[in-house]
Amino acid sequence: MPFAGIDIGSTMTKVVIVNETEDILSSVIGPTGAEHRHLAFQVMDAAVEKTGLLFESLDFVVATGYGRINVPFADKQITEITCHARGVKVLQPTVRTIIDIGGQDSKGIKLDAEGKISNFVMNDKCAAGTGRFLEVIAEALGIELADMGELSLTAETYVNISNTCTVFAEHEVTSKLAEGAAIPEIVAGLHEAIAGRVVNMVRQLGIEKDVVVTGGGAKNIGLVRAIERKVGFSVLLPPDPFLTGALGAALLGRDFFGRGMRRDHKRAAEGVTFFQ
Amino acid sequence: MSNDEKYFAGVDVGSVSVKAALVSRRQLLVSELAASGGNYHETAQKVIDAVLARAGIAFDRLSGIFVTGLGAASTPFSARQVSDISCHAMGSHILFPSARTVIDIGGQFTRVARITPQGRVADFLMSEKCATGSGRFLQVIARILQVKLEEIGPLSMQSKKPVEFSTNCAVFAESETVSRIAEGAQPQDILAGVHRAMASKVSMLVKRLKMEPDVVLTGGGGEDAGLVQAIGNALGIEVLVPREPRVTAAFGAACLAETGI
Repeated sequence: MPFAGIDIGSTMTKVVIVNETEDILSSVIGPTGAEHRHLAFQVMDAAVEKTGLLFESLDFVVATGYGRINVPFADKQITEITCHARGVKVLQPTVRTIIDIGGQDSKGIKLDAEGKISNFVMNDKCAAGTGRFLEVIAEALGIELADMGELSLTAETYVNISNTCTVFAEHEVTSKLAEGAAIPEIVAGLHEAIAGRVVNMVRQLGIEKDVVVTGGGAKNIGLVRAIERKVGFSVLLPPDPFLTGALGAALLGRDFFGRGMRRDHKRAAEGVTFFQ
Repeated sequence: MSNDEKYFAGVDVGSVSVKAALVSRRQLLVSELAASGGNYHETAQKVIDAVLARAGIAFDRLSGIFVTGLGAASTPFSARQVSDISCHAMGSHILFPSARTVIDIGGQFTRVARITPQGRVADFLMSEKCATGSGRFLQVIARILQVKLEEIGPLSMQSKKPVEFSTNCAVFAESETVSRIAEGAQPQDILAGVHRAMASKVSMLVKRLKMEPDVVLTGGGGEDAGLVQAIGNALGIEVLVPREPRVTAAFGAACLAETGI
């Protein structure tokens, strides 16, 4: 019995398909793009194809992420906070604190011993402390976002970035560059700044071991190390940081099915036809 | 110009432009403005030379010269440094004696000051943490729309339905602008939306400081009629603007050089 979770983030769309024993059958990551709805179905289609099944044979589909309302073929829309918690519960049951750094927001989620959400905080008002901050600065520095983590690890010290606002920090970084600062040290300074901001936010909840870092931010080893320095101990990383939310969504789909909820195949088919 | 006349100069070295003003008996005689560029030192010399040349007087005829702004420390001539806020306050006070609140919207920072009937700063607030209330927000959006800075005001005032941004963050608004263009939003509506967002942020600062009329708007923001209108609407009063809003601090510096601090 296959269950699918689709997580439409600001930058990427992720799909995970699981079976009733919580094994991952397939997963696909694609861009979100402006044409959200169309791309959402393409990513879903690719994930279904990898399992060798048909879209019609899915027993439940849960959508999450900021674009979740744009998935007419989903049976339920669930917030990414709930989905993240559900995904982490299976991947790393010892986790009590989740730090999620996404493309356009960052969150802290506190879990109890049963893996239930006890509290959360979120910043989606300001680009500081989100992936967008790094994206903007990477462009200003003329480097690839994906290289920033490794690059910063080569720095022995870091350049202090005094501006919180991304727009001002971009300007500050260009001046530092003009003053002769080395790129790795600037990037290390950016990681310090984001880590400080995010960890301070999550501290409101009380940071408790184990801590896992999820989202695109977890792909950046320099940022992860900076977070570890701020919290004072090592953090865990999921096998694929992008997929936690989609996996949680798929597992929640299985839970709903287990409680007797069924897929509306007719409505789902209409939702799909709309895009074909 | 007569020989017994005393002349005073003020130079404001800002992040975007360097301004110079020549004053005698608190009257603005000449002013000049040039893009700051990479060398404040050179630009400061250039604008002061230009002002003196236009007035037809030599540098050593100046009885006093005060400098202000971000780059006040890098001027080639020796001059006393004064804070931007006190220059904006004094400049606004002389132009509008009824002024009690001054809003300066510069290229990078926005400052709000409450001033005394004598033109001294009573209290002030600065927005340096976030680009939303600053001129940078407009520059970012105007660049995407490919609208020249001087065209922003007139264009925005043609808007019938300003775009409501879902965010107050300049970075997120930048991507939202791109999606709104894709959905068919008109440049004037986007600019009017930016003006509203900025005005709400600026009016928050003003209210925190307890606004007292009259309110004067100085700096580059004063040249944007759309922004002036939006701030007036947000505050619920008419905002006064100097004829050359960007030169206010340089003018104020020259007046302070004349009257003493």
